Amino acid sequence: MTTLIMIDQPPYGAWTGREALDMAFSLAAFDQSASLLFTGPGVNWLRQTQHAGGIEQKSVEKNLAAAPIFGMDAILADRAACIAYGLDEHSLIEGVTLVDADADLLTDYDHTAFAG
Amino acid sequence: MTDIQTLHILNKSPDHPRAARCVEMMSAEDGLLLTGNGVLLLARGNLLPGASKVFALIPDVEARGLGDLSGNVSSVDFAEMVTLSLQAQRVISW
Repeated sequence: MTTLIMIDQPPYGAWTGREALDMAFSLAAFDQSASLLFTGPGVNWLRQTQHAGGIEQKSVEKNLAAAPIFGMDAILADRAACIAYGLDEHSLIEGVTLVDADADLLTDYDHTAFAG
Repeated sequence: MTDIQTLHILNKSPDHPRAARCVEMMSAEDGLLLTGNGVLLLARGNLLPGASKVFALIPDVEARGLGDLSGNVSSVDFAEMVTLSLQAQRVISW
């Protein structure tokens, strides 16, 4: 049973994205196969050097760094959205795989859930 | 600080329909202040208004790792943000 968690909301603007991340990590912690897909403004989660102290929040970059520890299958990012937001291999955090978020991708997963 | 006709405060991400509406309805004498998710517009430079002055709130810019992107955009802190809104003839929060 494979699950894809899609995060299409920008970081820090609302809490829904973090809730989806917790959901994904819990799945992985219970040895369920789970992957994360960031699309649209959601790809901004994946930019390096996020200093969120000024808005009294923990950087989402640190949360994501825990993904391998939980045994997350993959962190995917939509190629077109990354280009739109000027994200490339120099500005993306490590461990992100670029994909085309299209119908084919969805067929690789039994379940797809969203953030909010 | 030159006077600003209308200060448009935008906290919506560029993908939110209201972001494009805001930029469309600005005149050259207006100012655009980006806060919250609004600062993501800095990562999509082509969507920024050409003529009018653009400001961005520093803590939000840094939280999203966009510190070095704000080339022709002036970054402001909270105090300067207040000054800006007092100087403008009118303030619209989108």
